[in-house]
Amino acid sequence: MKKWLLFWVLTFLSASFLNAQHWTPVDKSPLDQIYYPADYPSLKVKGTKERLRMRIIYSRPNKNNRPIFGSEIVPYGKVWRLGANEATELNLFTDAKIGGKKVPAGRYTLYALVNEKSWTFIVNKETDTWGAFTYDPAKDVCRVTTDVKELNKPIEALTIDLEKSANGVNLVAGWDTVSATLPISF
Amino acid sequence: MCTLSKCFVAICFASLLLTGCKDKEGEKTVNEPVTNDTATPDTAHQPHTVTEDNNLYADVDISPMDMSYFPAKYPQMKIADPRVAPPVMRVIYSRPHLQGRKLFEEILKYGETWRLGANEATELDIFQPVTIGDKKLPAGRYTLYAIPKAGYWTIAVNSSLDQWGLKQDPSHDIVRVQVPVTYYNPVMEYFTMVFEKTGTGANLIMAWDDAVAKLPIKI
Repeated sequence: MKKWLLFWVLTFLSASFLNAQHWTPVDKSPLDQIYYPADYPSLKVKGTKERLRMRIIYSRPNKNNRPIFGSEIVPYGKVWRLGANEATELNLFTDAKIGGKKVPAGRYTLYALVNEKSWTFIVNKETDTWGAFTYDPAKDVCRVTTDVKELNKPIEALTIDLEKSANGVNLVAGWDTVSATLPISF
Repeated sequence: MCTLSKCFVAICFASLLLTGCKDKEGEKTVNEPVTNDTATPDTAHQPHTVTEDNNLYADVDISPMDMSYFPAKYPQMKIADPRVAPPVMRVIYSRPHLQGRKLFEEILKYGETWRLGANEATELDIFQPVTIGDKKLPAGRYTLYAIPKAGYWTIAVNSSLDQWGLKQDPSHDIVRVQVPVTYYNPVMEYFTMVFEKTGTGANLIMAWDDAVAKLPIKI
Protein backbone atom coordinates (compact mmCIF):
# COMPACT_ATOMS: atom_id res chain seq x y z
CA MET A 1 0.00 0.00 0.00
CA LYS A 2 2.82 2.34 0.97
CA LYS A 3 4.50 1.77 -2.38
CA TRP A 4 1.27 2.69 -4.14
CA LEU A 5 0.90 5.78 -2.02
CA LEU A 6 4.44 6.87 -2.92
CA PHE A 7 3.70 6.19 -6.59
CA TRP A 8 0.60 8.36 -6.60
CA VAL A 9 2.26 11.16 -4.64
CA LEU A 10 5.17 11.20 -7.09
CA THR A 11 2.83 11.07 -10.11
CA PHE A 12 0.78 13.90 -8.68
CA LEU A 13 3.85 16.01 -7.93
CA SER A 14 5.41 15.49 -11.37
CA ALA A 15 2.07 16.26 -13.03
CA SER A 16 1.78 19.55 -11.19
CA PHE A 17 5.41 20.31 -12.01
CA LEU A 18 4.79 19.79 -15.73
CA ASN A 19 1.70 21.92 -15.60
CA ALA A 20 3.66 24.68 -13.91
CA GLN A 21 6.12 24.83 -16.79
CA HIS A 22 5.85 28.15 -18.60
CA TRP A 23 7.16 28.95 -22.08
CA THR A 24 7.59 32.42 -23.50
CA PRO A 25 4.37 32.90 -25.45
CA VAL A 26 4.19 34.16 -29.00
CA ASP A 27 2.78 37.65 -29.19
CA LYS A 28 -0.99 37.65 -29.81
CA SER A 29 -0.32 39.91 -32.78
CA PRO A 30 2.94 38.67 -34.25
CA LEU A 31 5.24 40.98 -36.16
CA ASP A 32 5.57 40.51 -39.91
CA GLN A 33 7.33 42.18 -42.78
CA ILE A 34 6.43 42.52 -46.42
CA TYR A 35 8.76 43.64 -49.16
CA TYR A 36 8.29 45.11 -52.61
CA PRO A 37 9.23 43.40 -54.86
CA ALA A 38 7.31 40.62 -53.06
CA ASP A 39 9.53 37.98 -51.39
CA TYR A 40 12.59 40.08 -52.17
CA PRO A 41 14.84 38.22 -49.67
CA SER A 42 14.22 34.93 -51.52
CA LEU A 43 14.60 36.62 -54.93
CA LYS A 44 17.90 38.14 -53.81
CA VAL A 45 19.33 34.74 -52.92
CA LYS A 46 18.36 33.62 -56.45
CA GLY A 47 20.20 36.63 -57.90
CA THR A 48 17.34 38.95 -58.86
CA LYS A 49 18.16 42.14 -60.75
CA GLU A 50 14.98 43.84 -59.54
CA ARG A 51 15.48 46.91 -57.40
CA LEU A 52 14.40 46.79 -53.77
CA ARG A 53 11.79 49.52 -53.30
CA MET A 54 10.10 49.27 -49.95
CA ARG A 55 9.20 47.26 -46.89
CA ILE A 56 6.40 47.36 -44.33
CA ILE A 57 7.02 46.12 -40.77
CA TYR A 58 3.79 45.64 -38.84
CA SER A 59 2.14 43.53 -36.16
CA ARG A 60 -0.88 41.50 -37.20
CA PRO A 61 -3.81 41.51 -34.79
CA ASN A 62 -6.56 38.90 -35.27
CA LYS A 63 -10.27 39.52 -35.58
CA ASN A 64 -11.02 36.78 -33.01
CA ASN A 65 -14.78 37.06 -33.62
CA ARG A 66 -14.79 40.70 -32.56
CA PRO A 67 -16.27 43.64 -34.45
CA ILE A 68 -13.24 45.69 -35.60
CA PHE A 69 -13.99 48.94 -37.40
CA GLY A 70 -16.18 51.40 -35.58
CA SER A 71 -15.75 49.38 -32.37
CA GLU A 72 -13.40 50.18 -29.50
CA ILE A 73 -10.66 48.24 -31.33
CA VAL A 74 -10.47 50.68 -34.24
CA PRO A 75 -12.86 53.56 -33.53
CA TYR A 76 -13.97 55.78 -36.41
CA GLY A 77 -12.37 59.21 -36.62
CA LYS A 78 -9.29 58.36 -34.57
CA VAL A 79 -5.71 57.86 -35.71
CA TRP A 80 -4.84 54.14 -35.59
CA ARG A 81 -1.40 52.47 -35.65
CA LEU A 82 -2.51 50.33 -38.64
CA GLY A 83 -1.47 47.23 -36.74
CA ALA A 84 -0.73 46.28 -33.14
CA ASN A 85 2.02 47.07 -30.62
CA GLU A 86 4.51 49.41 -32.31
CA ALA A 87 3.03 51.66 -34.98
CA THR A 88 3.44 50.32 -38.50
CA GLU A 89 6.75 51.18 -40.15
CA LEU A 90 7.27 52.11 -43.78
CA ASN A 91 10.82 51.73 -45.15
CA LEU A 92 11.39 53.41 -48.51
CA PHE A 93 14.65 52.27 -50.08
CA THR A 94 14.22 54.64 -53.05
CA ASP A 95 12.47 58.01 -53.30
CA ALA A 96 8.74 57.63 -53.87
CA LYS A 97 5.66 59.70 -54.60
CA ILE A 98 2.72 59.35 -52.23
CA GLY A 99 -0.43 61.40 -52.73
CA GLY A 100 1.35 63.63 -55.25
CA LYS A 101 4.11 64.41 -52.75
CA LYS A 102 7.73 63.41 -53.16
CA VAL A 103 8.84 61.31 -50.18
CA PRO A 104 12.60 60.71 -49.93
CA ALA A 105 14.00 57.26 -49.12
CA GLY A 106 13.95 56.65 -45.36
CA ARG A 107 12.06 55.26 -42.39
CA TYR A 108 8.54 56.49 -41.70
CA THR A 109 5.57 55.57 -39.55
CA LEU A 110 2.31 54.74 -41.28
CA TYR A 111 -0.95 55.49 -39.49
CA ALA A 112 -4.55 55.31 -40.70
CA LEU A 113 -7.48 57.45 -39.73
CA VAL A 114 -10.40 55.14 -40.30
CA ASN A 115 -13.96 56.17 -41.10
CA GLU A 116 -16.94 54.14 -42.27
CA LYS A 117 -16.62 55.07 -45.95
CA SER A 118 -13.05 56.30 -46.21
CA TRP A 119 -9.57 55.84 -44.75
CA THR A 120 -6.88 58.48 -44.52
CA PHE A 121 -3.37 57.03 -44.68
CA ILE A 122 -0.86 59.17 -42.80
CA VAL A 123 2.89 59.04 -43.44
CA ASN A 124 4.67 60.51 -40.42
CA LYS A 125 8.34 61.28 -39.69
CA GLU A 126 8.36 60.20 -36.03
CA THR A 127 9.61 56.59 -35.96
CA ASP A 128 9.89 53.89 -33.25
CA THR A 129 6.55 54.68 -31.66
CA TRP A 130 4.06 52.55 -29.78
CA GLY A 131 0.42 52.71 -30.84
CA ALA A 132 -0.70 56.19 -31.83
CA PHE A 133 -0.17 57.55 -28.32
CA THR A 134 2.58 59.95 -29.37
CA TYR A 135 1.18 60.79 -32.82
CA ASP A 136 2.03 64.38 -33.74
CA PRO A 137 0.32 65.84 -36.86
CA ALA A 138 3.12 68.44 -37.10
CA LYS A 139 5.40 65.55 -38.19
CA ASP A 140 3.11 64.40 -41.03
CA VAL A 141 4.84 63.97 -44.38
CA CYS A 142 1.61 63.46 -46.28
CA ARG A 143 -2.00 62.35 -45.92
CA VAL A 144 -3.97 60.44 -48.55
CA THR A 145 -7.71 59.78 -48.26
CA THR A 146 -9.14 56.79 -50.13
CA ASP A 147 -12.47 55.01 -50.37
CA VAL A 148 -13.10 51.83 -48.42
CA LYS A 149 -13.83 48.61 -50.30
CA GLU A 150 -16.22 46.05 -48.80
CA LEU A 151 -15.03 42.45 -48.90
CA ASN A 152 -17.17 39.35 -49.37
CA LYS A 153 -15.17 37.26 -46.93
CA PRO A 154 -13.70 38.64 -43.73
CA ILE A 155 -9.90 38.61 -43.26
CA GLU A 156 -8.93 37.14 -39.89
CA ALA A 157 -5.49 38.72 -39.41
CA LEU A 158 -4.77 42.29 -40.48
CA THR A 159 -3.00 41.95 -43.83
CA ILE A 160 -0.95 44.52 -45.73
CA ASP A 161 -0.03 43.60 -49.28
CA LEU A 162 2.15 45.46 -51.75
CA GLU A 163 0.77 44.93 -55.26
CA LYS A 164 2.33 45.98 -58.54
CA SER A 165 0.51 48.85 -60.25
CA ALA A 166 1.01 50.65 -63.57
CA ASN A 167 3.46 53.20 -62.13
CA GLY A 168 4.49 51.68 -58.81
CA VAL A 169 2.84 49.87 -55.97
CA ASN A 170 -0.57 49.69 -54.36
CA LEU A 171 -0.39 49.25 -50.62
CA VAL A 172 -3.57 47.33 -49.79
CA ALA A 173 -4.57 47.04 -46.14
CA GLY A 174 -7.36 44.60 -45.35
CA TRP A 175 -8.94 43.43 -42.12
CA ASP A 176 -12.35 42.09 -41.22
CA THR A 177 -14.65 42.99 -44.13
CA VAL A 178 -12.94 46.10 -45.51
CA SER A 179 -9.83 47.05 -47.41
CA ALA A 180 -8.29 50.35 -48.42
CA THR A 181 -5.57 51.11 -50.97
CA LEU A 182 -2.72 53.61 -50.85
CA PRO A 183 -1.12 54.18 -54.28
CA ILE A 184 2.66 54.75 -54.29
CA SER A 185 4.65 55.58 -57.40
CA PHE A 186 8.37 55.65 -58.11
CA MET B 1 -4.89 3.57 8.15
CA CYS B 2 -5.79 1.62 5.06
CA THR B 3 -8.96 3.66 4.45
CA LEU B 4 -6.99 6.88 4.97
CA SER B 5 -4.47 5.83 2.34
CA LYS B 6 -7.29 4.88 0.00
CA CYS B 7 -8.83 8.27 0.57
CA PHE B 8 -5.51 9.98 -0.19
CA VAL B 9 -5.05 7.93 -3.33
CA ALA B 10 -8.55 8.88 -4.42
CA ILE B 11 -7.83 12.58 -3.85
CA CYS B 12 -4.57 12.31 -5.78
CA PHE B 13 -6.36 10.57 -8.63
CA ALA B 14 -9.11 13.17 -8.70
CA SER B 15 -6.53 15.98 -8.78
CA LEU B 16 -4.78 14.27 -11.66
CA LEU B 17 -8.03 14.09 -13.57
CA LEU B 18 -8.68 17.73 -12.85
CA THR B 19 -5.24 18.85 -14.00
CA GLY B 20 -5.72 16.67 -17.06
CA CYS B 21 -8.95 18.53 -17.84
CA LYS B 22 -7.19 21.86 -17.46
CA ASP B 23 -4.67 20.76 -20.05
CA LYS B 24 -7.35 19.93 -22.55
CA GLU B 25 -9.06 23.25 -22.11
CA GLY B 26 -5.66 24.93 -22.44
CA GLU B 27 -5.15 23.32 -25.82
CA LYS B 28 -8.30 24.88 -27.12
CA THR B 29 -7.57 28.32 -25.73
CA VAL B 30 -6.61 30.74 -28.46
CA ASN B 31 -3.10 32.18 -28.03
CA GLU B 32 -2.07 29.51 -25.55
CA PRO B 33 1.49 28.44 -26.35
CA VAL B 34 2.00 24.82 -27.33
CA THR B 35 4.01 23.03 -24.68
CA ASN B 36 6.31 20.11 -25.21
CA ASP B 37 4.82 17.94 -22.54
CA THR B 38 1.64 17.38 -24.54
CA ALA B 39 3.37 16.92 -27.88
CA THR B 40 3.79 13.41 -29.24
CA PRO B 41 6.64 12.57 -31.62
CA ASP B 42 4.17 12.51 -34.53
CA THR B 43 2.88 16.03 -34.02
CA ALA B 44 5.98 17.66 -32.55
CA HIS B 45 7.34 18.87 -35.88
CA GLN B 46 4.07 19.89 -37.48
CA PRO B 47 2.98 23.51 -37.65
CA HIS B 48 0.76 24.25 -34.69
CA THR B 49 -2.36 26.37 -34.84
CA VAL B 50 -1.91 28.51 -31.78
CA THR B 51 -3.37 31.83 -32.82
CA GLU B 52 -4.66 30.66 -36.13
CA ASP B 53 -7.19 27.94 -35.58
CA ASN B 54 -9.91 29.99 -37.28
CA ASN B 55 -7.82 31.87 -39.82
CA LEU B 56 -8.53 30.72 -43.37
CA TYR B 57 -6.74 33.54 -45.14
CA ALA B 58 -3.32 34.40 -43.81
CA ASP B 59 -1.38 31.93 -41.72
CA VAL B 60 0.85 33.30 -39.05
CA ASP B 61 4.37 32.01 -39.64
CA ILE B 62 5.43 29.06 -37.49
CA SER B 63 8.44 31.18 -36.48
CA PRO B 64 6.87 34.58 -35.99
CA MET B 65 8.90 37.73 -36.39
CA ASP B 66 9.73 39.97 -33.46
CA MET B 67 11.85 42.99 -32.67
CA SER B 68 13.82 44.15 -29.65
CA TYR B 69 15.06 47.69 -29.07
CA PHE B 70 17.85 49.18 -27.00
CA PRO B 71 16.95 50.84 -24.72
CA ALA B 72 14.59 47.91 -24.07
CA LYS B 73 10.93 48.59 -24.95
CA TYR B 74 11.92 51.95 -26.43
CA PRO B 75 8.59 52.59 -28.24
CA GLN B 76 6.71 52.19 -24.94
CA MET B 77 9.22 54.46 -23.16
CA LYS B 78 8.33 57.13 -25.66
CA ILE B 79 4.72 57.18 -24.47
CA ALA B 80 5.88 58.17 -21.00
CA ASP B 81 8.30 60.77 -22.37
CA PRO B 82 7.86 61.80 -26.03
CA ARG B 83 11.14 63.78 -25.86
CA VAL B 84 13.21 60.71 -24.90
CA ALA B 85 16.55 60.49 -26.80
CA PRO B 86 16.44 58.44 -30.02
CA PRO B 87 16.95 54.66 -29.71
CA VAL B 88 20.47 53.22 -30.09
CA MET B 89 19.65 50.04 -31.99
CA ARG B 90 17.21 47.22 -32.56
CA VAL B 91 17.22 43.69 -33.80
CA ILE B 92 14.54 42.23 -36.13
CA TYR B 93 14.41 38.44 -36.18
CA SER B 94 12.09 35.47 -36.52
CA ARG B 95 11.60 33.22 -33.51
CA PRO B 96 11.84 29.48 -34.16
CA HIS B 97 10.81 27.17 -31.34
CA LEU B 98 12.04 23.84 -30.02
CA GLN B 99 8.82 21.85 -30.36
CA GLY B 100 10.27 18.90 -28.51
CA ARG B 101 13.60 18.98 -30.28
CA LYS B 102 17.04 19.39 -28.68
CA LEU B 103 18.83 22.55 -29.82
CA PHE B 104 22.13 20.71 -30.34
CA GLU B 105 22.34 18.63 -32.54
CA GLU B 106 18.73 18.32 -33.68
CA ILE B 107 18.33 21.94 -34.81
CA LEU B 108 21.82 23.45 -34.86
CA LYS B 109 25.13 21.76 -35.52
CA TYR B 110 28.38 22.88 -33.94
CA GLY B 111 30.57 24.72 -36.43
CA GLU B 112 27.77 25.38 -38.91
CA THR B 113 26.46 28.81 -39.82
CA TRP B 114 23.11 29.79 -38.28
CA ARG B 115 21.00 32.83 -39.19
CA LEU B 116 20.26 33.58 -35.52
CA GLY B 117 16.56 33.17 -36.16
CA ALA B 118 14.44 31.85 -39.01
CA ASN B 119 13.33 32.90 -42.47
CA GLU B 120 15.05 36.16 -43.50
CA ALA B 121 18.55 36.92 -42.20
CA THR B 122 18.41 38.57 -38.77
CA GLU B 123 18.71 42.34 -39.04
CA LEU B 124 20.58 44.69 -36.70
CA ASP B 125 19.56 48.33 -37.14
CA ILE B 126 22.03 50.77 -35.60
CA PHE B 127 20.72 54.31 -35.10
CA GLN B 128 23.80 55.74 -33.33
CA PRO B 129 27.41 54.61 -33.87
CA VAL B 130 28.39 51.62 -31.70
CA THR B 131 31.47 49.41 -31.37
CA ILE B 132 31.33 45.63 -31.77
CA GLY B 133 34.60 43.78 -31.18
CA ASP B 134 37.21 46.34 -32.22
CA LYS B 135 35.11 47.73 -35.05
CA LYS B 136 33.26 51.03 -34.93
CA LEU B 137 30.00 50.66 -36.82
CA PRO B 138 28.27 53.75 -38.21
CA ALA B 139 24.48 54.07 -38.08
CA GLY B 140 22.92 51.79 -40.64
CA ARG B 141 21.34 48.42 -41.31
CA TYR B 142 23.35 45.22 -40.87
CA THR B 143 22.66 41.50 -40.68
CA LEU B 144 23.84 39.09 -38.00
CA TYR B 145 24.61 35.41 -38.03
CA ALA B 146 26.32 32.95 -35.72
CA ILE B 147 28.61 29.95 -35.88
CA PRO B 148 27.93 28.15 -32.60
CA LYS B 149 30.52 25.85 -31.07
CA ALA B 150 30.35 23.99 -27.77
CA GLY B 151 32.39 26.51 -25.79
CA TYR B 152 31.82 29.75 -27.69
CA TRP B 153 29.76 31.27 -30.49
CA THR B 154 31.23 33.33 -33.31
CA ILE B 155 28.92 36.25 -34.10
CA ALA B 156 29.35 37.89 -37.50
CA VAL B 157 28.10 41.34 -38.48
CA ASN B 158 27.51 41.36 -42.22
CA SER B 159 26.65 44.06 -44.74
CA SER B 160 24.42 41.98 -47.03
CA LEU B 161 20.80 42.99 -46.35
CA ASP B 162 17.23 41.94 -47.12
CA GLN B 163 17.95 38.37 -47.98
CA TRP B 164 16.88 34.93 -46.93
CA GLY B 165 19.01 33.70 -44.05
CA LEU B 166 20.42 30.48 -45.46
CA LYS B 167 23.15 31.93 -47.67
CA GLN B 168 25.58 34.09 -45.78
CA ASP B 169 28.54 35.51 -47.67
CA PRO B 170 31.52 35.83 -45.30
CA SER B 171 33.22 38.16 -47.79
CA HIS B 172 30.66 40.77 -46.65
CA ASP B 173 31.51 40.30 -42.97
CA ILE B 174 32.33 43.58 -41.26
CA VAL B 175 33.45 42.11 -37.96
CA ARG B 176 33.44 38.73 -36.22
CA VAL B 177 33.45 38.34 -32.45
CA GLN B 178 33.83 35.22 -30.33
CA VAL B 179 31.54 35.25 -27.32
CA PRO B 180 31.25 32.71 -24.50
CA VAL B 181 28.14 30.56 -24.17
CA THR B 182 26.66 29.16 -20.97
CA TYR B 183 24.34 26.17 -20.51
CA TYR B 184 21.88 24.96 -17.87
CA ASN B 185 20.05 28.29 -17.96
CA PRO B 186 16.22 28.32 -17.77
CA VAL B 187 14.95 26.66 -20.93
CA MET B 188 13.56 29.01 -23.59
CA GLU B 189 11.05 27.34 -25.91
CA TYR B 190 11.29 30.24 -28.39
CA PHE B 191 14.60 31.67 -29.58
CA THR B 192 14.85 35.00 -27.78
CA MET B 193 17.00 38.08 -28.37
CA VAL B 194 16.95 41.10 -26.06
CA PHE B 195 19.35 43.85 -25.11
CA GLU B 196 20.51 44.31 -21.53
CA LYS B 197 22.23 47.43 -20.27
CA THR B 198 25.88 47.09 -19.20
CA GLY B 199 28.52 49.44 -17.79
CA THR B 200 29.92 50.12 -21.27
CA GLY B 201 26.78 49.88 -23.38
CA ALA B 202 24.65 46.81 -23.91
CA ASN B 203 24.77 43.06 -24.33
CA LEU B 204 22.72 41.42 -27.03
CA ILE B 205 21.43 38.32 -25.23
CA MET B 206 20.79 35.31 -27.46
CA ALA B 207 18.91 32.59 -25.58
CA TRP B 208 17.46 29.32 -26.81
CA ASP B 209 16.90 26.00 -25.05
CA ASP B 210 19.26 26.23 -22.05
CA ALA B 211 22.05 28.05 -23.95
CA VAL B 212 22.74 31.75 -23.51
CA ALA B 213 25.34 33.75 -25.44
CA LYS B 214 25.93 37.48 -24.98
CA LEU B 215 27.39 39.85 -27.56
CA PRO B 216 28.91 42.94 -25.88
CA ILE B 217 28.25 46.21 -27.71
CA LYS B 218 29.98 49.44 -26.70
CA ILE B 219 28.01 52.64 -27.00
